[in-house]
Amino acid sequence: MTAPIEVTGSETQAQPDAVLEGIEGKAIQGRSLGQIAWLRLKRDKVALAGGIIVILLILMAIFAPLVVKLLGHPPNEFHQDLIDPTLGGPTSSLGGMNGDFLLGLEPGNGRDLFSRIVYGARVSLLVGFMATLVAVVIGTVLGVVAGYFGGWVDWVIARLMDIFLAFPLLMFSIAVVGVLPDKWLGLEGNGLRMAILIFIIGFFSWPYIGRIVRGQTISLREREFVDAARSMGARSPYILFREILPNLVAPILVYSTLLIPTNILFEAALSFLGVGISPPTPAWGSMLTDAIRTYQIAPYFVVIPGMAIFITVMAFNLFGDGLRDALDPRSNR
Amino acid sequence: MKSRPRILAASSAGVVLLGLGLTACGGGGDEKTADGAGFEAAVGKVVNPSDKKGGTLRMAISSDIESTDPGDMYYAWSTNYVRLYSRMLLTYASKPGDEGRKPSPDLAEGLGVPSADKKTWTYKLRRGMKYEDGTEIKAKDIKYAVARTFDRAVLRHGPSYFSNVLDAKGYKGPYKDKNLDNFKGVETPDDYTVVFKLKDPFTEFNELVNFSGQTAPVPQDKDKGERYGLHPISSGPYKWEKDYQPGKGGTLVPNSNWDQSTDTNRKQLPARIETIAGLNAEELDNQLLKGQIHVDLAGSGVQDNARKSILTDPKLKAQADNPPGGFHWYNPIDMKVVPNLECRKAMVWAADRDAMWRAYGGDVGGEIATSIMPPDVEGREKGTDYYTKAEKGYKGNVEEAKKSLAACGKPQGFETTMIYREDRPKEKGVAIALQQSLARVNIKLNLKGFPANTYTSDQAGSPSFMQKNNVGIGTFGWLSDWPTGYGYLWALSDKAAILPSGNVNIAQIDDPQINEAWKKSYTTVDAAERAKLYNMIDDRLRSQAAYMPNVYAKSLLFRPSTLNNVFFHKGFGMYNYSTLGVTQ
Amino acid sequence: MIAFILRRLGGAVLLVFIISAVTFLIFFGLPKLAGTTTDDMAARFAGKSPTPEALAAIKERFGFDQPLAVQYGNFVKAAVTGDTYDTGVEKIDCPAPCLGYSFRTNQSVTDQLVDRFPITLSLVVGAAVIWLLVGVSIGVLSALRRGSLFDRAAMMIALAGVSLPIYFTGLLSLAFVVHQWGLLPPVSYSSFADNPFKWASALILPWITLAFLYAAMYARLTRAGMLETMSEDYIRTARAKGLPERTVITKHALRASLTPLLTVFGLDIGLLFGGAVLTERTFSLKGLGSLALDGVVGSDLPVVLGTVVTASLFVVVANLIVDLLYGVVDPRVRHS
Repeated sequence: MTAPIEVTGSETQAQPDAVLEGIEGKAIQGRSLGQIAWLRLKRDKVALAGGIIVILLILMAIFAPLVVKLLGHPPNEFHQDLIDPTLGGPTSSLGGMNGDFLLGLEPGNGRDLFSRIVYGARVSLLVGFMATLVAVVIGTVLGVVAGYFGGWVDWVIARLMDIFLAFPLLMFSIAVVGVLPDKWLGLEGNGLRMAILIFIIGFFSWPYIGRIVRGQTISLREREFVDAARSMGARSPYILFREILPNLVAPILVYSTLLIPTNILFEAALSFLGVGISPPTPAWGSMLTDAIRTYQIAPYFVVIPGMAIFITVMAFNLFGDGLRDALDPRSNR
Repeated sequence: MKSRPRILAASSAGVVLLGLGLTACGGGGDEKTADGAGFEAAVGKVVNPSDKKGGTLRMAISSDIESTDPGDMYYAWSTNYVRLYSRMLLTYASKPGDEGRKPSPDLAEGLGVPSADKKTWTYKLRRGMKYEDGTEIKAKDIKYAVARTFDRAVLRHGPSYFSNVLDAKGYKGPYKDKNLDNFKGVETPDDYTVVFKLKDPFTEFNELVNFSGQTAPVPQDKDKGERYGLHPISSGPYKWEKDYQPGKGGTLVPNSNWDQSTDTNRKQLPARIETIAGLNAEELDNQLLKGQIHVDLAGSGVQDNARKSILTDPKLKAQADNPPGGFHWYNPIDMKVVPNLECRKAMVWAADRDAMWRAYGGDVGGEIATSIMPPDVEGREKGTDYYTKAEKGYKGNVEEAKKSLAACGKPQGFETTMIYREDRPKEKGVAIALQQSLARVNIKLNLKGFPANTYTSDQAGSPSFMQKNNVGIGTFGWLSDWPTGYGYLWALSDKAAILPSGNVNIAQIDDPQINEAWKKSYTTVDAAERAKLYNMIDDRLRSQAAYMPNVYAKSLLFRPSTLNNVFFHKGFGMYNYSTLGVTQ
Repeated sequence: MIAFILRRLGGAVLLVFIISAVTFLIFFGLPKLAGTTTDDMAARFAGKSPTPEALAAIKERFGFDQPLAVQYGNFVKAAVTGDTYDTGVEKIDCPAPCLGYSFRTNQSVTDQLVDRFPITLSLVVGAAVIWLLVGVSIGVLSALRRGSLFDRAAMMIALAGVSLPIYFTGLLSLAFVVHQWGLLPPVSYSSFADNPFKWASALILPWITLAFLYAAMYARLTRAGMLETMSEDYIRTARAKGLPERTVITKHALRASLTPLLTVFGLDIGLLFGGAVLTERTFSLKGLGSLALDGVVGSDLPVVLGTVVTASLFVVVANLIVDLLYGVVDPRVRHS
C-alpha cells in the first residue's frame, strides 16, 4: 500500500513482514526484544543521531516560550526599524542574523525568524504526533479485532481499509478543511483548525497501521502460546491484552515513527496550500509560502523553514529506519 | 531611496549555495547602459511607438478574472482589458497624460448631449459598426446592455450607476421581464439614437457612461445571462477564439469585422492575444521580467521579488515606471459590524500606519494617505487627519486608542474578523500589521483571505457576508470611476450605493449629512461648489471612522522591451491595453 | 478467468458507490452536524452571494431539506442519466455523466474535468516513466552492491528525497533552472498533439521534480524487495543449479521483487491521476488538482465534490487493473 499523494515522507507501507517475522522469531528467546533492539540501535550511529535530533526538537517545541524568552523575541513582534522600507529586506548584513536575531529577520515586518521557527515546531510536531496517535489508536483497535476474530468482521474491516486507502487524501483534506465552519464543538480559530487537521490526517492514515496490526494478529493467533492460553481457558479479552497486544508494540512503534514524518509533511503541505493554520501563528509550511514571495530579497528566509521541515522529517526517518533495522534480525548492515 | 541592503552576502553554510545563485539574478552591480526607454519613460509619452503587426501578445493575471462580460466587471484592469473585444458608447481616450482621463466617443459620434435640465442625455450612434459576425450594431443592443445591468442577481460585479440614476420605474432587468419595451430608462427613437432618461439632473453623465464597459452592445438573442461572459460577442478589434475558461484563460484573435478607421482608441496589431489566468504571482513576474509574458493584467505593479530585481538592476529599471496609480488602498470599517464610533476610533488610533505603508512597499508602493480621495481627483483637498497621523514612522497611538475603547464601553477590547485578498501578499501584509498593532489594545483581528475574483462581489462586497461573519474591517483599493469627487466617493459613501453584492460602500455608511450632500451635489452646477461638497463628504467619512486611510498607491509597472505602444493610462491607472503591439 | 474479472469489476463498482456515498456524507452530513443551516449549504453551492430567490431555488433544486439518502440518490441519478440546471436565464443541459454544475464558473463540472485531465495526465505519465526507470534501477543496483559506497550514498539521497517537501524542491528548481540559468523554458502545458517537443520541454521540470520524490521511494522499495527475494531459498537453489548470475537476477529475483511494486505503482498512479495538487500548484499547471484547490478556495462545492469523486474513481480503477494484472500473472489470485 502506498503513502498519501505527493507527500511521501517515508514508506510506511513498505512490506512489514521482515520486521514482524523478526519479532516473532526473537520473542521466545532468552534476551528480551527491547534489549536486543537497544543493542543494535546503539551501534547505529546514524539512527542515534536522528533520535537525538528528534528529542531535541520535541524539547524545543515543548519549551518554546522559554527558548524564545532566552534566545529570541516574541514570534509576532514587528521589528521594522531594522528593515529597509523600500526593498523590504533587513538593513544589516546576513539577513539581520546576529546574537540578537539568531536566524535573522523576516523581510517586510522584521519578525524574529528564530522564534517563528521554534513556535512553528509546535504546530508541526503537535499535528504530526497527535494525528499519528489517532491513527495508531484506530488502526490498532480495528486491526486487532479484524485479525483476531476473522470471518465477516475481518472482511468488513479489510474492505473499510480498502475504502479509506482509495481516498485521494490530500485533496480530500483540503476540501474538508474548507467546508467546515469557523466555530464548532466549543473550539474556534486555530484551535479548531488544528483539531480538524489532526483528526483528518489521523483518520485517513489509520489503515497503514491497521493492515500491519491485522496481519500480525492473524499470525499470532495461530501460535503456540496463544493456543496454550486458549486451551487453559483464557477468555478473548485476556488473550488480546495479555498475549497479543504486547507482541504488537514493536511493529506499532516502528510504523508510528515512520508515520509521524509523513504527517508532518502533510501538515506543512496544507499550510503551504493556505488551508492550514491562519496567520499570525507561525507554521513552517506557510512560512515557506511567504518566503517564496521574497526569495530575491531574503534567500535565507526560504532556506530556514525548508531546512526545518527537511531536518525534522529526515531525523524521524533515520530514527525510524534504524528502529526497524534494530527490530529486524535479518538486516545486518 | 535608501541604499541597497547588503543582506545578500551568503550567511551560513546552508545559505551559501542558494544565496549566491539567487542574488546573482538581481544583477546587482551591472552598470551596462540600459536598452529600455528609461525609468518612468511611459509616463506621459508612448514608448516604442510602432504599427508593426503580428506576433503573440501574452497577458497573465495571478488571480482568476472576475468576469469577461463587459457588463459585469468593475476592476479597472477589466474595463481596460475589455476594450480589446468590446466597444462602448464612449471610452477613455487612449492617450498618455491627462488626455487619457477624458471621455471620448467610441460607438457614438460624439459625447452625449444633455437637455437643459440635465435629465435627458442623447447619443448618436455611428453607422455601419459591426459585431464579429457582421451584423450591424443597433441602438437597441445598447439599450439591452444597459437593461441587463439592472439584474444584480445575474450580473453581480459591475457598477450600479445606471440602475441608480436612470428613471426606470422599478424595472427588474431583462431576465425577469423579457419585454425590453418595459424598460423606460433608455429610449431608442431610431436605430442610431440612444436616449438616457435620468431621475434627477446629473452633470457628470458622460463620465458615467464613459468609464465602464456597461454600454458595450449585447445582442439580446445571444445573451446567456451569467454565461454570456464565457464568450461575449465582440465589437472590438479582437474576438474570442473559443470560450473563456474560468481559472485558466483564453485567446483573442483579430476580428475582421472591426474597422480601424472608425476607432482612434484601439489598434489591431498582435496576431493573437493569449490570456493566462491563475498564474502564480512570482512566476508571472519572473516571466514578465524576461519578456515571456508581456503584460501583468492586474496592473497594480510587481511583487516584492521583482521589485528588488528592478530597483537594483539599471537595465531592468529602464523598462519600469513608478507612477501614482490613482488607487487609494484604504481599509473600510463596517459600521453595521462595529456600530460604535468610539470602537471604530480605537481601531484607527491603534493602527500602525508606518507598518501598513511598508506593507505596500514603502516609497515605491506609495504615499501615506490623508483624505479618502487620492490627490489626482479634481478639487480634492488634503484634509486633516482624524485619529491618526499620515506620517512615516507613525506607529499609532495606544493611549488614545485605549481611551476610545473605554468610551466605547469595551476597555477590555473586542474581537472581529479582518478579510483581505489571499492572492495579494501586500494586502496580507497590511492585515498582519493591523492585527499586530490592534492587538496592543486587545482588539483581536481574526484574519481570513479570499480570492480576488470573488472578493469584491461575494465577501467584501456582500454586506450580509460581512455581518454574518463578523467582518469588521477589510483591505480595499479604489480608483476613481472618473476623476471627480462623485466618481471617487459616491459608490463608497451614499446610502443608495449599498448593494447586496458587488457593494463598494463596504462601511455600509448611511449618514444623513452625507446623503444630504449627495442630493445637493446633483443640483449644484458649479464644479468648484461641488468639489466643496465632495471634500465635506470625504471629511465626514474619516471623522466617522468609516474608512481608515492607508496609502495612495504607486505601482511599479514593468514593460518588456518587446512591448510596443506602451504608455501609462491615467484613467485606468496602468498601461493602456487596447493599443499594444509586440516585436517578436 | 471471466468469473474472476466479473467479481473484481463488481467489487470496484461497489467501492465507487461506497466512496462517493462517504464523500457525499462528509460534505453534506458533516456540515449539518457542525450546525450549518440549509441556507448556508445553498450558499456554498451557489458559490457566490446569492439573492434569497436564488437560495430558495438551489435549496429546492438540491433538496437540502430532504434526507441525505434522497440527496445522494439525486446525485447518483444525475451522474447516470444527466440533469438540467436552471440558471434563471436559461436551462442548461448537463448530459450524463453529470457530476454537477458550478454556479461560480458557469460550467458543468464534467466539462471542466475533461478539460483539465490531459494536463494532469501529461504530468503524471511523464513523471512515472522517469521515476520507474530511475527508481527501480537504482534500487536494483543498490541491492546488488549492498553495503557499498554506492548503496549507502544512494539510500541516503533517497531518504533525503522522501524527506523534502515537493514544493520546496519544485520552487527552488524553478527559480534556478528556469529563471536563473534559463536552461528550460517556463513551465506550461500545451497539447501533445500540437507539438510533442514543446509539450515535453515545458513539462520536463515538473516531471523531474515529481519523479525525484517517487524515484526515491521506489528505489528504497525495490532495494528492500530485492534483498528479501535474494535471500529466498529458490534463489539459492537457482544459483546452486549453476545458472548464470545474470539469469538468476533478471529471471527470478527481479521478477519476484517487482511484482509487489506493481500494487504500489497502481495506487500511486491512481492517486496522482486524480490531481497532483502540490506539483500542479507549484508549477501553476491547471490540472485536476488545481481545479479542486480553486474549488475549495472559492467555496465552489459542486467542483470540489466532482473532483474528489473523480479522483477516488481513478484509485479504484487503478486498483482494479492491478488486481486483474495480478490475476494474469499469478493464477493463485484468481481462485482465492
